[in-house]
Amino acid sequence: MRFQANRDVLSDAVSFAVKLLPQRTTLPILSGVLIRSTDSGISLASFDYEVSAQTEIAAEVQEPGVILVSGRLLADIVSKLPNAPVQFATDEGKISVDCGSAHFTLLSMPVEEYPTLPSVDQPAGLVPGDAFAEAVAQVGVAASRDDVTPVITGVQLEIADNVLSLVATDRYRVAVREIDWDGSAGVTEATALVPARTLQEIGRTLGHASTIQVAIQNNDDRELIAFTADQKTVTSLLIKGNFPPVKRLFPESVDHYAVLNTGDLIEATRRVQIVLEREAALRFSFSSEGLTLEAIGSEQAQASESIDALLTGQDTVVSLKPQFLLDGLSSVHSEFVRISFTKTDNPNKPGPVLITSQTSREQAGSDNYKYLLQPNLLLR
Amino acid sequence: MRLVIARCSVDYAGRLSAHLPLATRLIMVKADGSVLVHSDGGSYKPLNWMSPPCSLSIAEPDAEQAEAGVSSVWTVAAKKSDDRLIVKVHEVLHDSEHELGVDPGLVKDGVEAHLQKLLAEQIELLGEGHTLVRREYMTAIGPVDILARDAKGAAVAVELKRRGDIDGVEQLTRYLELMNRDPHLAPVRGVFAAQEIKPQARRLAEDRGIRCVVLDYEAMKGVDSGVPTLF
Repeated sequence: MRFQANRDVLSDAVSFAVKLLPQRTTLPILSGVLIRSTDSGISLASFDYEVSAQTEIAAEVQEPGVILVSGRLLADIVSKLPNAPVQFATDEGKISVDCGSAHFTLLSMPVEEYPTLPSVDQPAGLVPGDAFAEAVAQVGVAASRDDVTPVITGVQLEIADNVLSLVATDRYRVAVREIDWDGSAGVTEATALVPARTLQEIGRTLGHASTIQVAIQNNDDRELIAFTADQKTVTSLLIKGNFPPVKRLFPESVDHYAVLNTGDLIEATRRVQIVLEREAALRFSFSSEGLTLEAIGSEQAQASESIDALLTGQDTVVSLKPQFLLDGLSSVHSEFVRISFTKTDNPNKPGPVLITSQTSREQAGSDNYKYLLQPNLLLR
Repeated sequence: MRLVIARCSVDYAGRLSAHLPLATRLIMVKADGSVLVHSDGGSYKPLNWMSPPCSLSIAEPDAEQAEAGVSSVWTVAAKKSDDRLIVKVHEVLHDSEHELGVDPGLVKDGVEAHLQKLLAEQIELLGEGHTLVRREYMTAIGPVDILARDAKGAAVAVELKRRGDIDGVEQLTRYLELMNRDPHLAPVRGVFAAQEIKPQARRLAEDRGIRCVVLDYEAMKGVDSGVPTLF
């Protein structure tokens, strides 16, 4: 095998292929990047039976062939090469990489033992890249990181009526965002439960593309999902199991809410929470005069701050974990935010609060992002 | 067990030397001969000690020591070396002796046994449709914690640990190898269940086709964490 490629293009492709590789693997060949050169260019791929990354770039191929080479090592090397074309060649089981005056020799791994990469044939639909990346970031924060409940470590994708909704929860909060789904390619209804960490990486990697092509398919008993954009494809196995029906937790309508400036509330929460002990909650008192945040419960220090709030309905007090609130506030992406209070009949469980965007004090946002948060019990 | 609270200074002589100036301390003289000097802090760690085999002798102070206020000199000498722990007692504030008898030992797997009972009762935590066959299923090399059947009726062997590490995976692997020789049971799949599974153990288990299940002991016991959840 022998080919020559542009350094920047190659570096970008290698870092993409390597990004999703597992840190440590029991099968060393899976730490490799598979590089295949054909007459039309070269393809790079990585795969660990769960997640695969595949990409194609243009290259001047002098001799077609396949090599398997340590992924992280190659990524380190390629990212530091001088600005000159990169020449790859195989030489008696070794791979030589030449770039300008730099020369590297790498060991190659046996290509025959490498597993077959998952192939993606039938696209299911298209999503806009920027909206998808934003939605994944907004929803992913709410996904559970606790292995006790594997189903909620994923983000649930639900396709229906030209809408893709993304849902995630860790039992303390639920985040939902809906984006456009172009199902003209075939699929108008489907669900897929994708590991949140993988999806977040996909959002970051493919979010710059104008559209992302999505495919869901069944390969002998294991379902997988594929995302393709700009000649880059990432596939991931789906999490087995049923995602809890959390969408029904959202209230249909609320007439008891407060509207606040998002930035002011974020800053006040960050300031006041400094004196809180770990895992403790902040007390938020909403009244016609505004919102007062109070941090109590620590013997060493207390803090409070008042900010403007436009309250509709009666005065109310809720106890919220600051990080959970901040996750929601940082995700609304609007100048103002609406915090709605729901009713509850259970005296041991306060009604959840709903966080939604608000373009002005009067005008609700139009982005379909909803973040439902369970308050703690009020102490005192 | 003899407990003495005394104002004393302590010196250790031998391979290493150490000195504790005059202060009030607890001196424990245990039935095995060991002597430990504790302060009112430092958790389980004595300030200084002599491990058995050793011998304790109590002597009168010499004139110079008596002049300094020492009322008795305890010398604990190690049998196998020249190491000595010397306690110069100035004033005894408390001295009592208690017969403790033989200790039953630490029951480390109390939680593990409880986990086994709870998981047997809540066997669906392994997955929908799982049914319990029995706890402590006996094999030639020891009992498997739980034998269950999955929704399709295939045998599932469960190894339960508080903290799941490599050793637990190896143990389960041995059981699985043996159980898979039994035509009544085979094929048997393994489940490694623990409150916490170390990343290396998880990697090894998954590489061997053993499924990992993390258990929430508090939730299984029905203990409310006090923090309300949405569902």
